[in-house]
Amino acid sequence: MADAEGSPAVRSLRLSHSAQPPPPASSSSPTTFSCPSSPSSASSSSSSCSESSSDFLTHHHHHHHRHARPQLQLPPPTHGDQASSPSASPRSSSPSGSIGSTCSLGSSSASEGIGSGGTSSGGGDQRGPSPPLDVISEDAMEMDLGVEQVIDPEVALKACQEVLLKVKLQDDQRQHPADVAERGAVTQLISPDAGSIKEEDEEDTDTLSQPDPRPSARPEPFSPPSSSKQSWLLRLFESKLFDVSMAISYLYKSKEPGVQAYIGNRLFSFLDSEVDFYLPQLLNMYVHMDTEVGDAIRPYLIHRCSASITFSLLSAWLLGAYSSDMHISTQRHSRGTKLRKLILSDELNPAPSDSPASSPSHRRHRHHRHDGSNAEASSMFGPGQGQAEVFVSPSRRTHQRSKSDATMASNGPGAGLRRTGSNPKVEAVHEEPERLRPQREFIKSLLCIGKRLATLPTKEQKTQRLISELSLLNHKLPARVWLPTAEHQHHVCRVPHTQAVVLNSKDKAPYIIYVEVLDCDSFETSPVPVRIPETRIRSARSAENLDCSTAANGSSGMTSEHRTGSFCTVPNYDNDDEAWATDDIGQLQVEMEAQTSSSDNISQFSVDSITSLESKEPVFIAAGDIRRRLSENLAHTPTAFRRDPEDPSAVALKEPWEEKVRRIREASPYGHLHTWRLLSVIVKCGDDLRQELLAYQVLRQLQSIWQQERVPLWIKPYKILVMSSDSGMIEPVLNAVSLHQVRKQSQLSLLDYFLQEHGSFTTEAFLTAQRNFVQSCAGYSLICYLLQVKDRHNGNILLDSEGHIIHIDFGFILSSSPRNLGFETSAFKLTSEFVDVMGGLNGDMFNYYKMLMLQGLIAARKHMEKVLQIVEIMQQGSHLPCFHGSSTIRSLKDRFHMSLTEEQLQLLVEQLVDGSVRSITTKLYDSFQYVTNGIM
Amino acid sequence: MSQVEKKAGLLRRTSSSKKPLKEKVVLMYDEIFAKEDPAKNNPRFWDELFLMKVNLEYLESKLESVDGEDVQRIQDNINSLFHHCVQALGEEHQIKVVNALQTLCALFRGVHQKNKSASGFDIINMLMGFDKAEQRMKDLMERLDSLLCGDSSESLKSLCLKLLLCLVTVTDNISQNTILEYVMINSIFEAILQILSDASSRGQHGYDAVVLLALLVNYRKYESVNPYIVKLSIVDDEPTLDGMGMVVHQALTEYNRQYKDKEEENQGGFFSTLTSMVGSMFIADADEKLSVQTNEAILLALYEAVHLNRNFITVLAQSHPEIDIAATPTTTTPTTPTTPLGTTPPSLDMMSNPELPLDPNLQTSNLLITFLKYASIVMQDTKDEHRLNSARLCLIILTCIAEDQYADAFLHDDNMNFRVSLHRMPMRHRKKAVDKNIPSRPLVCAVLDLMVEFIVTHMMKDFPMDLYLRCVQIIHKLLCYQKKCRIRLHYTWRELWSALINLLKFLLSNETTLLAKHNIFHLALLVVNLFNMFITYGDTFLPTSNSYDELYYEIVRMHQVFDNLYCMVLRVSTNTGQWKEAASKVTHALVNVRAIINHFNPKIESYAAVNHISQLSEDQVLEVVRSNYDTLTLKLQDGLDQFERYSEQPKEAAFFKELVRSISLNVRKNVSLNTLSQDVLLKEFSTIS
Repeated sequence: MADAEGSPAVRSLRLSHSAQPPPPASSSSPTTFSCPSSPSSASSSSSSCSESSSDFLTHHHHHHHRHARPQLQLPPPTHGDQASSPSASPRSSSPSGSIGSTCSLGSSSASEGIGSGGTSSGGGDQRGPSPPLDVISEDAMEMDLGVEQVIDPEVALKACQEVLLKVKLQDDQRQHPADVAERGAVTQLISPDAGSIKEEDEEDTDTLSQPDPRPSARPEPFSPPSSSKQSWLLRLFESKLFDVSMAISYLYKSKEPGVQAYIGNRLFSFLDSEVDFYLPQLLNMYVHMDTEVGDAIRPYLIHRCSASITFSLLSAWLLGAYSSDMHISTQRHSRGTKLRKLILSDELNPAPSDSPASSPSHRRHRHHRHDGSNAEASSMFGPGQGQAEVFVSPSRRTHQRSKSDATMASNGPGAGLRRTGSNPKVEAVHEEPERLRPQREFIKSLLCIGKRLATLPTKEQKTQRLISELSLLNHKLPARVWLPTAEHQHHVCRVPHTQAVVLNSKDKAPYIIYVEVLDCDSFETSPVPVRIPETRIRSARSAENLDCSTAANGSSGMTSEHRTGSFCTVPNYDNDDEAWATDDIGQLQVEMEAQTSSSDNISQFSVDSITSLESKEPVFIAAGDIRRRLSENLAHTPTAFRRDPEDPSAVALKEPWEEKVRRIREASPYGHLHTWRLLSVIVKCGDDLRQELLAYQVLRQLQSIWQQERVPLWIKPYKILVMSSDSGMIEPVLNAVSLHQVRKQSQLSLLDYFLQEHGSFTTEAFLTAQRNFVQSCAGYSLICYLLQVKDRHNGNILLDSEGHIIHIDFGFILSSSPRNLGFETSAFKLTSEFVDVMGGLNGDMFNYYKMLMLQGLIAARKHMEKVLQIVEIMQQGSHLPCFHGSSTIRSLKDRFHMSLTEEQLQLLVEQLVDGSVRSITTKLYDSFQYVTNGIM
Repeated sequence: MSQVEKKAGLLRRTSSSKKPLKEKVVLMYDEIFAKEDPAKNNPRFWDELFLMKVNLEYLESKLESVDGEDVQRIQDNINSLFHHCVQALGEEHQIKVVNALQTLCALFRGVHQKNKSASGFDIINMLMGFDKAEQRMKDLMERLDSLLCGDSSESLKSLCLKLLLCLVTVTDNISQNTILEYVMINSIFEAILQILSDASSRGQHGYDAVVLLALLVNYRKYESVNPYIVKLSIVDDEPTLDGMGMVVHQALTEYNRQYKDKEEENQGGFFSTLTSMVGSMFIADADEKLSVQTNEAILLALYEAVHLNRNFITVLAQSHPEIDIAATPTTTTPTTPTTPLGTTPPSLDMMSNPELPLDPNLQTSNLLITFLKYASIVMQDTKDEHRLNSARLCLIILTCIAEDQYADAFLHDDNMNFRVSLHRMPMRHRKKAVDKNIPSRPLVCAVLDLMVEFIVTHMMKDFPMDLYLRCVQIIHKLLCYQKKCRIRLHYTWRELWSALINLLKFLLSNETTLLAKHNIFHLALLVVNLFNMFITYGDTFLPTSNSYDELYYEIVRMHQVFDNLYCMVLRVSTNTGQWKEAASKVTHALVNVRAIINHFNPKIESYAAVNHISQLSEDQVLEVVRSNYDTLTLKLQDGLDQFERYSEQPKEAAFFKELVRSISLNVRKNVSLNTLSQDVLLKEFSTIS
């Protein structure tokens, strides 16, 4: 195993960890814990503990890491109005005296809980899992309101006790794996194919679990709890209200291994998509927090990784990025690095539900790893260079060729045949597929392009180089690769390279590419689409047909009679008219026509010509009509931007998305396929997108809060993919150009531009656009205030075709601001141009704007914890500039103004808006940007 | 053994001039040309023969000197020699293979030299014998194929290709080379493709392979089914096609570079002569110095690829010469999976993938751009026969490109902008174009520039009618595409219009001399119809409404040319004569142009009269034009947007036959004996043995 040499280090590391237990636990007065096996107790006792607990654990031997960890501690109060428990952050609350006493009380009753669990385990199964669940859910209904408002620390404490019970129950249920939905996940882990996980864990987890004191959960006989004693916390956990957000919060704040373990298990029961949102938080906790938290999350991560390539890669990228802040020496041994290695080593092969099938593949894998570095290397780079010399690049080639085992059989040979059709010497290359590699190679290629572009001096050169690089990339598509920003399952089939443009940036070279994809059921198992050569654009045939005809062509071409065709001397052209008569670009011409028209299938009669053909009478047209049509046609697209070599992206971004899709689809050889879709992505190299990701999460959270509270604030969070600490991808905002581009291209004020684009003041189109503008302005004003988004110049604010503004570039948020020049002291950017579009300072729309802001702030305040939590967890171990200083979280929290009444809040909003309107610093900053960066 | 052979080599070098002392190999040749079976006395004769360094000159001259009667006599021995050559190709001993290849070369050449008049059958009989010919050639081609595709040494592969080139060009007319029938049956197409698809082999043998392919494709092109044509037309393997494109590209780039070097060399003297030139529009002086041998063979290959293979069109736009895609994998060293990420920042191991050479000064280029530059050089001067042929071929290739939808798509792609610096003929009345100021535009602009440039610079006594026709047709095809796809190209159409009008003027003023040789009415019709395209369909592809006004302005401004043209064609069409029909077509085509002139001229005159202006400014004329559209009615003409698709047969067949002949001669000359018996080869293999 890859970890073999690393393990001693791990061991020592882990030991040192347990030797120095996390401060909060130990500092929260050890006396409060009657149980000697708390994490803070001497590590020496731990090994014996784990031994003694072995009988207790025998029935779930395969998954040590999911041990019950019944050590309970005070759970932090969360998700409520902090007003009732003003004791600030829960972390600081646990050591505080008053609660400490409750704690001791709690722990004693916790042991009661343990006791009950113990007896029931001894008693066997007769105590099924279902009755308590029923009770709980009923109770949970009752307490809905209360939970939402306040979590009484005492209640929470009681609830803690029940976690033990809960965990216990779970253990029981594991013997009946089919019971509950979440058990599916458990069986997954038990199934033999999960061997890899187990083996891997033998180093990590096993060594861990020895010094791990938690198994001392060893039940001691206590009196069984009555149902009235059902813990509040457990009720909470069982209730419908307990969502991922709360789970993450408890995971982060609870020092109690039992709670952590419970939540670790509980993660399995949430929808994948819900948990995915918190993946950055989960991974950051995994990387930077205590081993306990890590161990609690790990099974879930492993499970998801083995089930999904996407998840694997996302996790690997994030792990790499979040580990990068660590010191090099610690980084190497960090759990994050190790997990990343495990994921990337492809040990976590997808384990299909029928485990026997997968186990041999796994074995083969291991075997091949033993072959030594040579074999490994060659398999990594694809088939040996020797045998694939015909192909452009063996290593890259295979990234399209590698397929999962399943599809290999069905698709592989066919593809090989097709490829070799014209060149029989070419041998199809097959090798053991590595499931992550095609995608990694794809991403790597994209990032490398960005890196190289940065070295070129002018935008023109960059764009040209970009286009040529992408055209090379095209040779390797379609492949089992996908765009991680997209939601649907798909395969990338083509990059319309000429559409790509370099974006505006001073020294980096971010660029936007458009990517043609074909939707599929599952990119992991669906066959990779067959390649269609570029020139076969306009044929409405399926790829298969084309291939057949080409093949037939080859064989029949030799024998076919040579026809002195009117436009071709090559026999195979003539007898294959159908496949080749593909000149009807843009579907302007019916294909039939193309085939039957004798000598000229290129010319296409305009309507006028046709009429003149039908009647031999001369047809007359007025010159004035031609001239008029010309100016009308031209007037039809008045707002298209001019091509500007210094700003190549303006034109590309201005083109309406629908238009672009149509255009590219027409020009694509894959366009006729009904699964065809166009996606786009911005590739960034040399930029740390972790802050962007954080901002995205906050925006998404606020968006859903506002949606939930029915406040019509409009924001557009755009997806961020962090690939490393200095590279990543961004989902572009469609149909949007920057205010800078708007101004430079149109030479109009923003209001005039609105009038030009949407119509005069009274038109519905204008009013809609204006409303959109106001709602988005209000949304982003709040965002800018709450997150302290800085560097707000016009290049960083987009305007979409519906009138929304969208802020981009969250490089300076929270505690960081550009160059600390002290500009931008206003709360958010509100220029007089903005106010003009809103109809002036006294207009209704401006009042609406302020009202929206107030509503938005109130709604955000109500759910502050959900927002705070995202930021707070990411602060762990982070060196990001936005976390600079010690007061980041506190200041963020302050900006929610929990203490103000709604009237006071309204005043605050007025002040903020006033300040921003008056603030000349915004203006100053803009001119500063103009001077330094040429941004208007 | 190598000792002996080296000695032989030494001996030969000193002895060849003066001493009568014969090398051993020569003695052995003599034995072959004796009546007896040389192996009768020496069973190891053939073994030994192929260990000797070949004396090509001697062998060839010996073959040439064989008399008619002797042929019968020695045929068995020649057959035997051929047979053993083929067998020696399979030898492990590389020296033997080399010598066998060279001997085969000498055999093919010698026999053909001897039998210039003889029929192909005689040659086959003499070399292989009728009954065994098929088997022998099959063996030969198979051996060559495996040598070319195997991992034998590069020099050996090179020699194989030379042998093939030698074989293909032994006759002046490739179609009369009967032996090639066997090359058709036993295709080496795949071997050629493989050479082209691999970066390293392409670098070394690409040129020969491409030329060989171009020639093979032209074997009995029009009479029979040529498998190479069929196969070439269906290749869809991109690396291979790209490889072919790169070979062509490199050859053309090299030519462009050489030309540029020469041009710069001549710059000094060039300007000094400039002043002394009076009365001549063109500078003939410098031409001599500037001429660099055109590369018709590679151009032919490009033509065949463009013409035959649809997929190759993509290569025109995609291949990126500085970026040798196939060269990358060898240098690529992706990160090993065992490298723990923590040791280096993750970004670093992602970037450690050297892909393309990074040279900021390198403009991204593609085959089409290089080709356009090449064409601009070649088309400057069409007096020389080779250059005329090259220019014609360039225009034919452009015709094929302009007809292809995909090519049109990327020619007009607004996102693919390039600066293409075309070479412009130095002319007295214009300054030399400043390369720096060329804007970055879609490629079609460069094509149009090239056409305009040609039109303006070739109005001379020795009128290249054929080239002009092609030129105008290319423009027409591009316009048709623009009309169909509603592409509004931002091009300064005025330059084109005025060039076309000047062309009409030239035709008019040289009517009598030109009519003696050409049907000028056909060209005039095409030109007038280009104007008709703009007049009737301008709304679909003109970039601005102003440009439509400018069109009218230009027509009205130059109305005299159209008036004169009308008078001329009317005169010719009313007379009975061979041009009656052609001329009357032009009269019909002129109907709208005349309508415009007749409509606007009075309006402009009255405007001038009313406003008391003697000379109207352009803006004033445009104003008149703009305000008087509505009273003008135009006639819609049929088929303006239709054109005859290019077809090689029958029109171009003669041209290509001649072209291939000239290429064959050229290639034969270049595949000289020297290149066949390289010292490199011997050095390489003597160390091996």
